Amino acid sequence: MKKETGKTIRELGYFASLGMSVALSIFIGLGLGLWLDKKFDTNPVLMFVGLLLGIVAGFSNIIRAGKKGKKY
Amino acid sequence: MEHPYLLLTSVFGVFGLEEWAASHPHVTYMWLAMIILIFFGWLAGKSISLVPETAQNVFEVLISGMEEFVVSITGEEGRKSYPLLITIFLFVLVGNLMGLVPSLYPPTASVNTTMALALIAVGWSHVVGIWHHGFKYIKHFLGPVPLMIPLFLPIELIAHTARVLSLTFRLFGNMMGHELVVLILLMLGGMFLAPLPVMAMGVFVALVQAFVFFLLSTMYIAGAIEEAH
Repeated sequence: MKKETGKTIRELGYFASLGMSVALSIFIGLGLGLWLDKKFDTNPVLMFVGLLLGIVAGFSNIIRAGKKGKKY
Repeated sequence: MEHPYLLLTSVFGVFGLEEWAASHPHVTYMWLAMIILIFFGWLAGKSISLVPETAQNVFEVLISGMEEFVVSITGEEGRKSYPLLITIFLFVLVGNLMGLVPSLYPPTASVNTTMALALIAVGWSHVVGIWHHGFKYIKHFLGPVPLMIPLFLPIELIAHTARVLSLTFRLFGNMMGHELVVLILLMLGGMFLAPLPVMAMGVFVALVQAFVFFLLSTMYIAGAIEEAH
């Protein structure tokens, strides 16, 4: 495989998987918050904390991909 | 949706295990994929010689081409992880392609198989990270500023869990969707060969999904090897 093609394929794979990881991060954060709420009986508080953390984690993925894209 | 006819379930039915085989088709067909892969490995290694002939030629091109590709991503340290990566690629490829043969069921269309593969791939990337950096590997999870550790740790943990789930659901969703579309088209217009175009596209989907799974596992290993940001 030529070097240039390999690089294009690698970037394609990485950036194509970005959208899914953002959505999944938010759901994981939400699920974690809901589970901890049930465990400690503190109804909506931890859900919002978890949701916020999930959203931040998802967006940090985008920011990291942007930094990576600049390097190439 | 039930598969109309499964070959291996009837084969297991001869031994009186039909009920178990019908409820676990992903297990029996995974064994079939393993048998196919072991057979091809035996075929390639049977008469290994310095000047390669027929079968050995094909395998050498495939294996060494992929090895160079992996090393170009991870650097020289990633060569040790290559056997695992190529095994994942070949297994997922064979598993996906089995969905195109009537009366076979692709083991990758079950969430159990894909979750196991994703856990192995991501887990191995952490093992490589610890192996490579020692205790300092924890820096990957702590962010750049010591003051912000309580914020960064949960975020990084969530992001790393999302990797497992995204690997799992991409492969599972694609293969299960393909299987479902083929079955529905077969039911609606099987007499007019309606599923054929979708099956032709299935060859492409199988190849791309196997490659994406392999590529992302490689990139996670590369991310564990490089220095913390």
